[in-house]
Amino acid sequence: MRPWLGWAIKLGLVGLVVLAGFAVYLDAVVQEKFSGKRWTVPAKVYARPLELFVGQKLTKSDFLQELDALGYRRESAADGPGAVSVAGNNLELHTRGFQFYESREPSQRVRVRFSGDYVAGLSQANGSSLAVARLEPMLIGGLYPAHQEDRLLIKLEQVPPYLVETLVAIEDREFFNHFGVSPKSIARAVWVNATAGQVVQGGSTLTQQLVKNFYLTNERSLIRKATEAMMAVLLELHYDKQDILEAYLNEVFLGQDGQRAVHGFGLASQYFFSQPLSELKLEQVALLVGMVKGPTYYNPRRNPERALERRNLVLDVLVEQGVITLEQAVAAKQKPLGVTQRGSMADSSFPAFLDLVKRQLREDYREEDLTEEGLRIFTSFDPILQLKAESALADSLKRLAGRKGVELVEAGMVVTNPETGEVQVLIGSRQPRYAGFNRALDAVRPIGSLIKPAIYLAALERPSQYTLTSLLEDQPFSIKGQDGQVWSPQNYDRKAHGTVYLYQGLANSYNLSSAKLGLELGVPNVLKTLERLGVTRKWPAYPSMLLGAGALTPMEVADMYQTMANGGFNTPLRGIRSVLTAEGEPLKRYPYQIQQRFDAGAIYLLQNAMQRTMREGTGRSVYSRLPSSLALAGKTGTSNDSRDSWFAGFSQDLLAVVWLGRDDNGPTPLTGATGALQVWTDFMVKADPLPLDMPLPDNVVQAWVNATSGQGSDPSCPNAVQMPYIRGSEPVPGQACGIQAPVDSVMDWVRGWLD
Amino acid sequence: MIKWLIPALTASVVLGGCASVPRGSIPVVDSSSSVYGQQQAGAGDYGTSTAQPPQSQPQDSGVVVMVPGAGGSSAPIQTFPAPGSPIGGGVVGSEPFSTAPVISEPAGGGSSSVPPPSMPSGIPSSGGLAADEQLDGPVLALLTTAQQQQGSGDLNGAASSLERAQRIAPREPQVLYRLAEVRLAQGDAAQAEQFARRGLSYASGRPALQASLWNLIAQARERQGDSAGAAQARERAKVSL
Repeated sequence: MRPWLGWAIKLGLVGLVVLAGFAVYLDAVVQEKFSGKRWTVPAKVYARPLELFVGQKLTKSDFLQELDALGYRRESAADGPGAVSVAGNNLELHTRGFQFYESREPSQRVRVRFSGDYVAGLSQANGSSLAVARLEPMLIGGLYPAHQEDRLLIKLEQVPPYLVETLVAIEDREFFNHFGVSPKSIARAVWVNATAGQVVQGGSTLTQQLVKNFYLTNERSLIRKATEAMMAVLLELHYDKQDILEAYLNEVFLGQDGQRAVHGFGLASQYFFSQPLSELKLEQVALLVGMVKGPTYYNPRRNPERALERRNLVLDVLVEQGVITLEQAVAAKQKPLGVTQRGSMADSSFPAFLDLVKRQLREDYREEDLTEEGLRIFTSFDPILQLKAESALADSLKRLAGRKGVELVEAGMVVTNPETGEVQVLIGSRQPRYAGFNRALDAVRPIGSLIKPAIYLAALERPSQYTLTSLLEDQPFSIKGQDGQVWSPQNYDRKAHGTVYLYQGLANSYNLSSAKLGLELGVPNVLKTLERLGVTRKWPAYPSMLLGAGALTPMEVADMYQTMANGGFNTPLRGIRSVLTAEGEPLKRYPYQIQQRFDAGAIYLLQNAMQRTMREGTGRSVYSRLPSSLALAGKTGTSNDSRDSWFAGFSQDLLAVVWLGRDDNGPTPLTGATGALQVWTDFMVKADPLPLDMPLPDNVVQAWVNATSGQGSDPSCPNAVQMPYIRGSEPVPGQACGIQAPVDSVMDWVRGWLD
Repeated sequence: MIKWLIPALTASVVLGGCASVPRGSIPVVDSSSSVYGQQQAGAGDYGTSTAQPPQSQPQDSGVVVMVPGAGGSSAPIQTFPAPGSPIGGGVVGSEPFSTAPVISEPAGGGSSSVPPPSMPSGIPSSGGLAADEQLDGPVLALLTTAQQQQGSGDLNGAASSLERAQRIAPREPQVLYRLAEVRLAQGDAAQAEQFARRGLSYASGRPALQASLWNLIAQARERQGDSAGAAQARERAKVSL
């Protein structure tokens, strides 16, 4: 009797010790994960915040489009964050506030008045003055790790009314009373399952669900169930209900977006409603809570009817539980599901720009930091301009579709602000929403005549030798290159144009005169100029380089033209402005950097010639669609057999580079003017840019010259026009013309080359 | 009998120890220090100069953007007379060099229905005010913020606010001047000089501002060890005034 009892006690105690040991182990697991970093959070990428100030160029419709994308609710009075009321040209909105790199933007009620295409008034809702305000930036994507779990962490105090009550009512009514497991619920589940003969109801508490998702695999076994129960109890032992609830709200799986798993109510709210969680209304809360049971089955985008039914069932339960009144439920049931068309923050929306951001970030951060630390990346991406560029491309390709072979043409496009060096738009494909080969960054293609401004700039930097009205011979010639091959360039129209003004060689993109000028200057000097413009590729100094045999990406072309557009100051193009930590602490800035590479006078003359390209040269078709008051500068480019159709050009505030061509490098039916320029023009029509207006540099004078002879003239004379010259290189002023204007010299008549 | 007590006691002690972990607020995400380590590594981004006090502010320049009350009594407030023309009032001479009809190019947008601010920077023009007097609204507000940030030693924040102002008014030379000043305080003399030069290209007809920009260039060149260039810049500053 005694030995047997002794052994039994000993064995029992050993079992207890083993169990205690297991409990100790589980306890360590529970605490280790719960008290440390609970989740890894992918970096979030934001668009530029829309700034509001009086005098800002912004149409009301663009503004409303941005507000819609940010999930602002149209209401009769803007009485809470994320609401806007519209009355004609007067808008009142309640912004949400946001932590930016340099400061926090407060959530505030703002009045905006539009007039034409401008913001004409801005004030706080109480009438006090407001100089400038920012909307919160649009989330345009994230950097996901391999397992692609995404979430937007929220705090318990950020949840909207009814969320906690609804969750408890639907998933775990005893939550605030039990100690991790609920015998009452288990008993009920056992009873239900036993009578049904299969598992139809779980007795899991919220704590157990959290433990399951957080620590355990999905396997269904009694051991796992027991472990789960033990861990739930341990979790409740160490942490209070609020902590557990907050963790649950952030952990729960609520949907699948392609490769990305949508976790937590914070992200689900953005993903389904494009709104912050705190702004959700009763019916939206009911929908999300209802989805916990089966996020795929009740997906409101795929299965709206099922989702609606489930939502309304949840509302009924809330009435039954006394959480809401019957009237509230009836009103909520009237509302539509209210989900946005597609995840507006889906990382597939703007793949080309995100690709640029990722490349830049990977130079500066480790992969884990990007996918786990919840960094906030602020970029210069402009969604309004991006959508305009995308529709310009689609519209133009549709118009060109009649030409045979256009269906095979691919596209790349870059838009920057020349005054800040920021990339605002990136298109990597004619189907800009599909990630894939990013032609804006990776298509290295011969630039054709896009190189010519570099030749003319090299010339204009030598004012003692060249002015805009220097004469060039546009005549056929042949030279023997270093490789022994004979090079005989030809004009696009296969004609020689005789003696032309220097600027005409550029404006009309004459190959013969341009190549000749380049040879005079020396190919290495032209390549040096190209390098100073920002081109980093090293090309051999062959004469064929003068006509654009060298290849660049659209992005590299943008950098090159940026220097011409920004008064001769080169700037490395930037897509990222700054980076904040998950807690909103400043981490890194990508500052604006400039370097003067050219004399402002030479750039002024070059811009003048490039404006003439648009007025009278190869780009003149733009003014059939744009007002003549809009000064623009640009250059067409076409490679051999029209394999590449380029246009690069700029206004005061927008620089755009368009490339069209085939991925297999086959010929297209498009020249720079008939292809890329059409997309460029379409974009500029939609974007409504500011006219180019470079201040007159100190060393530039405007002189009157005779349009036919290029000799100095006087404003009183017929045929006198103004031309800019570097001071000292202008022609001697002509005599004032009286009533008997001296007849132009016979020689000038004979030359008559202008025609 | 006593032997089996030892593990049991140990277990209970350990359990007790675990149970006594204080509950408390749990950090939502514990950012590992690796990111910060990266910041140190990427110090080319002025990261290292953040903590430095705004060293040797150009006290002598006298150029202070008109920020009411921002600098207290110590800040010299000076305005720069502007020419009658708007900022950067150069005329683009793009009349077609041919016998085609001359197209005049108003600075503002084209169609008559548009009420265009005549300046492209987004700064509303109001009547015949000089450019400096127009430094109100968003640009003034942001320059004020930047001044406060710089005053409290937050040079990165100041630079960031100034870049925000520069996006709103890219051709306002006073913004570029302040940007150059902050870059200099951050220890980036080369960029300070570049921004001052960019400012000069928009400061035509504003001799006082030109002189200050040249003085800033002189300081920046001195920092870069170019004393001859600095002397030249000082000469230009005198000529400008």
